[in-house]
Parts: sequence; C-alpha cells; structure tokens
Amino acid sequence: MKEEGATDALLRQFLLGRVEDEERQRIESLFITDSQMKDKVLAAEQKLIDDYLDDCLTKADKEAFLLFHGDTAAQRRKLEIARSIQEWAVNRTGKTPIPATPPLSLWDRLRLPKKSILILPIAATAAVAIVFALVWVNNRGTERNREFLAVQQELAQLNTPSSLRDVPAEVHLTLKPTVVRSVESQPELLSRPNIHIVELRLLWMQEKDYPSYQAVVRRAGDGQPYTLDNLTIEKDGGKMIRIRVPARLLTRGNNQIELTGVAANGSKSSSEIYSFFVSE
Amino acid sequence: MPRDLVIPPKSLDEILDWLHPDRDHAGEIYVQLRHDLTKIFTWNRCADPDGLTDEVFDRVSRKVHGVRLTFEGDPKLYFYGVARNLVKESPKRAKRQVSLEDTDLRAPEASTQDEVAHMREECLNRCLQDLDPEKKELILSYYAKDKQAKIDYRSEMARELGITVETLRVRIHRLRGTIETCIERCLDRMGQKR
Repeated sequence: MKEEGATDALLRQFLLGRVEDEERQRIESLFITDSQMKDKVLAAEQKLIDDYLDDCLTKADKEAFLLFHGDTAAQRRKLEIARSIQEWAVNRTGKTPIPATPPLSLWDRLRLPKKSILILPIAATAAVAIVFALVWVNNRGTERNREFLAVQQELAQLNTPSSLRDVPAEVHLTLKPTVVRSVESQPELLSRPNIHIVELRLLWMQEKDYPSYQAVVRRAGDGQPYTLDNLTIEKDGGKMIRIRVPARLLTRGNNQIELTGVAANGSKSSSEIYSFFVSE
Repeated sequence: MPRDLVIPPKSLDEILDWLHPDRDHAGEIYVQLRHDLTKIFTWNRCADPDGLTDEVFDRVSRKVHGVRLTFEGDPKLYFYGVARNLVKESPKRAKRQVSLEDTDLRAPEASTQDEVAHMREECLNRCLQDLDPEKKELILSYYAKDKQAKIDYRSEMARELGITVETLRVRIHRLRGTIETCIERCLDRMGQKR
C-alpha cells in the first residue's frame, strides 16, 4: 500500500471515478475493513451529494457525478429521495410567503381610464419582455457565478497542505518567473484526456521568504482569474510553491500565474509572473 | 436484481464462524459486508450490484470450507477479492444480462410520473413521521438553510453537537439511507416503485 489514509480531495476524485485502479482497490479494501475509512468515504459521498443538490458542482464534476451516482434507475431514485428530503426540510423551515397582489375589485377596474385599457396589453407585453430579459441576464450571471464558486472551492480542496502532501501528482511542470526565464523557450504543457490534475511548481527566486503566498491563475483568453490563498513555500534544494489545478481549467494557449508573497501584517511582495503554453 | 440466494445452511454457518466467533456479531458483519459490496459494485458502475453481491456470497459459500483454514488476514478481504474478480467479469456480463430495473420498457406518461412523485411524497411524510424526533430534527436542520448559510450552519450544528462536520455528514448519510429504505418499502407496498 502506498499510503495509509486518504484525503477528502482524493476521496472526492475516487467517488467521481478519477483514480487509478490500484488506488481504487486500496480505498475499497480500506472501506470494507477500516471503520474510520468507511466514515471518511461516506462523509465525502454525502458532501458530494449535498453539492449536487445545491447545484454547486462544476460541469465536469456534475457529469462524472451523474455517471457514477445517477446512472441506474435505483441511483436516480435515491437522488430523487434525497432531493425530496431537502425540499421537505426547506419547506418546513417556513419560508415567508410572498404576499400575493390583491385582485382588483370590479370598482377599481371600472375606475381605470379607457386609454389604460388599450395601453395595458402593450405595457404588459413590454413588462413580460423586460422580466424575461432580466431573468435571462440574471440566470447567466448566476450560472457563471455558481461555476466560478465551484471552481474556487475545487481549487481550495486540491491545494490544502494535506492534499498536496498526501495525493501524488499526476503530472507536474516546473516554472521559473518570466523575468528570469527571458532567454529560454516558454514551457509547454501537452493536454491529454487522461490527465485530470496538473501540478505547477513555481520557483521562488526572491531573496525574502513570506509566511504565505497568493497565486492568481489567469487562463488564456479568459478574463476571470482564480485566486489561491495561504500557499506555503517548500525548500527542497531550491525554493518553490506548488499549486494544483484541474487540467480542464487550463485552456489552449498562454496561461499565466501571478505569485505574490504575503507578510504577517498582510503587506504583499512584488509579484512574479509565470507563464506556460498549453497545447493539444 | 437480487436473486433468490440460497446458501446451504452448513456453508452459511461456516461463513458466519469465519467472520466472527460470536454469532450475533457475525450476523451484523454479514449484513454490513453485503451492503458494502453492493456499494462497491455500484461505484464500479456494474450492472446489477445486488445480483453481483449475491454471486460473491454464492462463490464464497462453495469454497469457504477450505478457504477459511488457509486464508490469512481479515476474511472480508477474501470476499472483496471475489468481488474484484466479478467487477472484471462484469462488463462481459452486462452484454448478456441486463438488469430489468434499468431497462426502460416503456416511457412513463406524465400522469404516471406525477402519480409516482405524489406517492413518494406521501411515503416520505409517513417515513418521517415514524422517525425518532431527535433524528427528524437533525435532518431538518441539516438541510434547512440555503447554500453558504447552509455551510456555516452545518459547522455550527456540528460544534453544538460536539462532533466534527465529517461525523455529522456520516450521521446524515446513514439517516438518509434509513429514510430511503423506508420509502422504498412504502412504495413497494403501494405497488409502485420507480
């Protein structure tokens, strides 16, 4: 056995069918023989189901979740039951009902000027169109926001000290700051379907070290950066900060990481930029 | 689908003795092991996890007499080994044997779906009524809030109960399992399971 335990992040990957066969067998045999491990797996499964019910999974995670947990009629039935329990609980907590607009009395209707009667259908149509537009814009915003939060959450889980320590990296790429690397060619990462997580090893060339570091991941052609806080430096020969990102997050083209040291009082160092090219 | 598994009484006795010298405790391990193996088959996307679990016990029952004398270590791992072999065989099985439960024989009409949803709701209410008030309160509180508020509230809940969030999740997982089983039985009694 490679390791004795398993982190939440690893168990999540296991439940989404993203671990190698050897690792899968190790977790399954521990699930059967070790009650603590069983509890960990069940807790991870409950968390995954909660995230699904709350619609907090990324698109890829949701697809994997449904493949492994919503594939058969029995599994779908269980998910429906879980959703029913959730709905029951939400209803039972007594949401304040939105007061319905009282219907217009006959007298009120008679008092409406004739012109209003003609204008009403037009106004109503316009109002409906505006509402639809607002809902559409809002839904798109909400969807993007939900996706963003899910990715942030996933990144945080992948980069906890225990995950970095206990879960072996599938593939890694060592990067130097672009200012140091100016004469060298840009590192390239070949995107492959069997790679799910990429570890980026960012060499820290500044003389001063910091208690923690912040990394901002900027994908090629995407304005939405993702931030990773509370990263720590490792000194094994040189100085480096490791971060892990889901491979699907890295888009084809030039991706960039901005790394900053954070002092105990919150002040920040000058940033280092690391860039690499993702190709297919 | 689960088969009508008939393990010869002598083999069943030997299996139970092998699992634990205390018969009551052995019985508990047996039931839990069945449950765990079914879950493993499900995680491996095998068709018919219940049927495969029956097959594991069937195969072990045929060898238990000799194996229990030679196998070293936790006997549950022997069962797991048999299950792994079945997982490997499973894709071939799927072509020949399809779980009827997963075969969409006829797309249900909307009215049937509504009816099933209504029955499920009725069963849920019945099962929740039968639930111990403390457990009912626990599951109500766990699912009550929305999104971020829910995450914070669950941490608060765990703190108040003097347990970790992980332990709280395990309790909810098991409680949900109890309710699911109750609902399934209720739907069975109502003659409609979908």
